[in-house]
Amino acid sequence: MGAKTVLVVDDSRIMRNIVKNTFLSMNIPCEFIEASTGKEALVRLDNNAIDLVLLDWNMPELSGLDFLKQARSNPLHKDLPIIMITSEAARYNVIEALKNGATDYIIKPVNEKTFQQKLAKLHLK
Amino acid sequence: MEKYIQPFVEVCESVFRDFLQTEVRADRPHFIDRSEANNWDISAVIGLTGEARGAVVISMKLNLALSLTSTLTGQQHTGLDDEVVDAIGEVVNIIAGNAKRGLEESFRLVISLPTIVRGNNHSVIWPTEQTRIICIPFRLPSGDTFCLSVAIEAVG
Repeated sequence: MGAKTVLVVDDSRIMRNIVKNTFLSMNIPCEFIEASTGKEALVRLDNNAIDLVLLDWNMPELSGLDFLKQARSNPLHKDLPIIMITSEAARYNVIEALKNGATDYIIKPVNEKTFQQKLAKLHLK
Repeated sequence: MEKYIQPFVEVCESVFRDFLQTEVRADRPHFIDRSEANNWDISAVIGLTGEARGAVVISMKLNLALSLTSTLTGQQHTGLDDEVVDAIGEVVNIIAGNAKRGLEESFRLVISLPTIVRGNNHSVIWPTEQTRIICIPFRLPSGDTFCLSVAIEAVG
């Protein structure tokens, strides 16, 4: 199977690097595309064949939740795996994200073991 | 007010342990004046809205900010560059976001994007006169210290 294309969306460059490094530790062949706002992420999504989105919540211009709603409103992306990786730890946040189509939810700081378990469920290898 | 502080203490300790690879120990929290000048070099501010209003501020000396950033990036940082701003903003973002979990029985909160204030002896002017501001001092094994200030007041 070919390399997966992963869209990493976070306004923090440090967090994007941490997420990428954690992902790489699973030895899944992949290439990364990055975006620092939800708005930028929508453009990346339209212009690339994305296999997985790793999505922050709190970002300028367009939040992760609003990105999620817009992505899911497009039939092309209704089954696209979108994992939220966010500091928003309240249960009402998790529920809201899942109701709006998030595939899974990871609370920052990223725990490598948890991340690997969530990714394993997607059968990306 | 005091009952809202414990989630921040617990979350701050766990975030420093899990994210920044260092233990921290909280000292006795105390009230501070809303316009009190401080001796810190950098503060990261997160606003709180929703069913309560207020703010969470983490303040520290430049050396600690540089050291924490180096832990996250794996590189040495010698000045207050974009990555230091990014790192300290992300730290307060993660603390505020995780503390929401411990406060969800009291109110639903919305957190803002972090804002960074820098400069020796800078002040953070807190918007509401009525809300009391609690400073929770923390100490690292290295002897470095920082302050997590929290003001939170239910709306209505």
